[in-house]
Amino acid sequence: MALPKRIIKETERLMAEPVPGISAVPHEDNLRYFDVTIDGPSQSPYEQGTFKLELFLPDDYPMTPPKVRFLTKIYHPNIDKLGRICLDVLKSNWSPALQIRTILLSIQALLGAPNPDDPLANDVAKRWKEDQNAAIQTARDWTTQYAKK
Amino acid sequence: MARPRSKRGDLIEGLSYREKLSLASGVFMSEDATISPQSKQTPLNASRDARALIRLIQCPQCSLPFRSPVTLPCGRSLCRVCLPQPHRRENISYPNTPDRLTAVGCPFEECGKEHPEGDCSVDVCLSKIMETIHDVVNSCEPVPGDTPAKLWEIGTGSNPGNAGLRDQYSEHVHFGGRLLSMFAMAVMGHLNYHAEAEFSSLSNEGDDYQTMDDAVLGRLRETTHKELDCHVCYNMMYDPVTTPCGHTFCRKCLARVLDHSTHCPMCRRTLPIPPSLEQQPSNVRLVSLLQGLCPELVASRAEAVVAEEQLEMGEMDTRLFVCTLAFPSMPTFLHIFEPRYRLMIRRSLEGNRQFGMLTYNQHGVSQTDLGNTTFKEYGTMLSILNVHMLADGRSLVETMGLYRFRVRAHGTLDGYTVGRVERVEDVSLAEEERLEAQDITAVPVIDSPMEGRPSTARFNDITQLPTQQLLIEGLAFVQKMRAHSAPWLHQRIIEVNGGPPNDPALFPYWFASIIPIVDDEKYQLLQTTSVRERLKIVIGWIRRIESQRWYNGGNCLIL
Ligand SMILES: [Zn+2]
Ligand SMILES: [Zn+2]
Ligand SMILES: [Zn+2]
Ligand SMILES: [Zn+2]
Repeated sequence: MALPKRIIKETERLMAEPVPGISAVPHEDNLRYFDVTIDGPSQSPYEQGTFKLELFLPDDYPMTPPKVRFLTKIYHPNIDKLGRICLDVLKSNWSPALQIRTILLSIQALLGAPNPDDPLANDVAKRWKEDQNAAIQTARDWTTQYAKK
Repeated sequence: MARPRSKRGDLIEGLSYREKLSLASGVFMSEDATISPQSKQTPLNASRDARALIRLIQCPQCSLPFRSPVTLPCGRSLCRVCLPQPHRRENISYPNTPDRLTAVGCPFEECGKEHPEGDCSVDVCLSKIMETIHDVVNSCEPVPGDTPAKLWEIGTGSNPGNAGLRDQYSEHVHFGGRLLSMFAMAVMGHLNYHAEAEFSSLSNEGDDYQTMDDAVLGRLRETTHKELDCHVCYNMMYDPVTTPCGHTFCRKCLARVLDHSTHCPMCRRTLPIPPSLEQQPSNVRLVSLLQGLCPELVASRAEAVVAEEQLEMGEMDTRLFVCTLAFPSMPTFLHIFEPRYRLMIRRSLEGNRQFGMLTYNQHGVSQTDLGNTTFKEYGTMLSILNVHMLADGRSLVETMGLYRFRVRAHGTLDGYTVGRVERVEDVSLAEEERLEAQDITAVPVIDSPMEGRPSTARFNDITQLPTQQLLIEGLAFVQKMRAHSAPWLHQRIIEVNGGPPNDPALFPYWFASIIPIVDDEKYQLLQTTSVRERLKIVIGWIRRIESQRWYNGGNCLIL
């Protein structure tokens, strides 16, 4: 099936004007499937880490949001063991006016601002609320252990 | 231009969808004579069409270049400050939101409707275009002082009797060629929207400033082009429609968005417009701008839109709907609510108004060349007779069966099934006759017990009945059941499906449409290739019903 013009344009722009700290490269054999890396934002427990994600554009994209998942293990209240992300713009707040770029920026922002009140990983969120310093330390440790550059 | 006022119920009666489509495409044209027919192929020329170009960005109310333009629900644009004073609306209790309690009377004569204030937002796209135009004009400052020209207005309302006569007081000297001069005139309020303008170079060298005009237009085209991209498909807008919140998308893109959500993709405001967009006019001014600046791109977009769907479908040129069992010449009523099927129905309406109906392969039976598909390979092509769009985007679709087909290859397009199909047809009449003769003259099969049934003699005699006799037996059975007031022959059902047809080719389809037996049995009819074969199947059912040995999923079927 032919690739919609929109996906071609988005890919071209991602290549031509990459977002600092984010890369997204489509697979050669499947231009709807992207290998993504996101650098942990500075001032966050994920600083110094580079996280791998996969991003897939479903058939009816952009009517439905891209499917994004963390491949690198990460300790975060809004990201579960399977790497699934709890982010409104990936679900009910998706709009076709958003794009791969804005979605990845939102995920990067989520790393900088974990939200334990809207958790996906309940155990992490619980710990985050009860003992934030310890949780942050675990997040740091995991970053060093799994997301080292 | 005025759109036909929709009367209640005209969705179904009155105009056909096709007629409405052609009316809708009329809206696609320009609102006035700015665009002449020949300019549809060639873009407006910087010097020859300078007046028309400037008019594209003038407010028809105040004649100034648009200031925070609003595009009204009727598709016409004017400055926000040119909106008439709002008044309170009377006798309205629904939806009763604050922004709908007041309205402005549309100042455009062709419309004259009342537009709720909430629907009169600033047109974001047109506003951005105006900003970029001002930027371009400002970047041309200081306008070279050695490019003087004299301009004057012709044919304004101020001197109707002397239209065309030169009024010395309306003469102005401007610089920078036709476009910049006329823009300056418009900004100063010296150029009425409806008026023409004359231009006379005062250059000592006799320069007509044509090169300068071309350069200015080139830059305008380049900068405005960016603002004319659709935020959904990333293409240049095609048939732009502006929402009540002031955001503009291709008509097709917005319709697809509305299949999935009721919110504006840009601002997330709820869009109070019927999702089909059937009654939604195009943004007249943007259509004119696109047509005036880049008609060749508009034309190639139009081609691309058609080609895109065809290309994506490739050989899979038949839209398929896996839903229920349908038969040729019989009506099928559908309730469409899933976004992908709404899209499928809409595309059918834009195309030949047909799609193939398939039934589920519930028992996972392998389908000849296709393997274990979710659907059974034989289906019926349906033609859409009527679509009744409900306000929430659901629709009731009335169809009529056309012909049977078999799926040879299949895939998906935007979530729905598409395929390559071949028609399933009856053998020639000569062959039909041969089959009948062969059956009738065959040596009778002698009764032999089979699968626990006491006798198969009565089944086997079907084979030897003349085709016409098979029909008569079928009709007689219907007659008898009617006399017994069988619930499946209720008057309501007859009203929908019609009475039993006397055509032996069609009777089985009619019978299958109304008789309450399992679909697996009925499905056989789709595979038949002769009238006789179909009738034999039907009479087989009747015999089994009559012998009371007809079981339906373990329960004895009571007719
Ligand atoms: Zn109006
Ligand atoms: Zn105005
Ligand atoms: Zn579009
Ligand atoms: Zn909006």
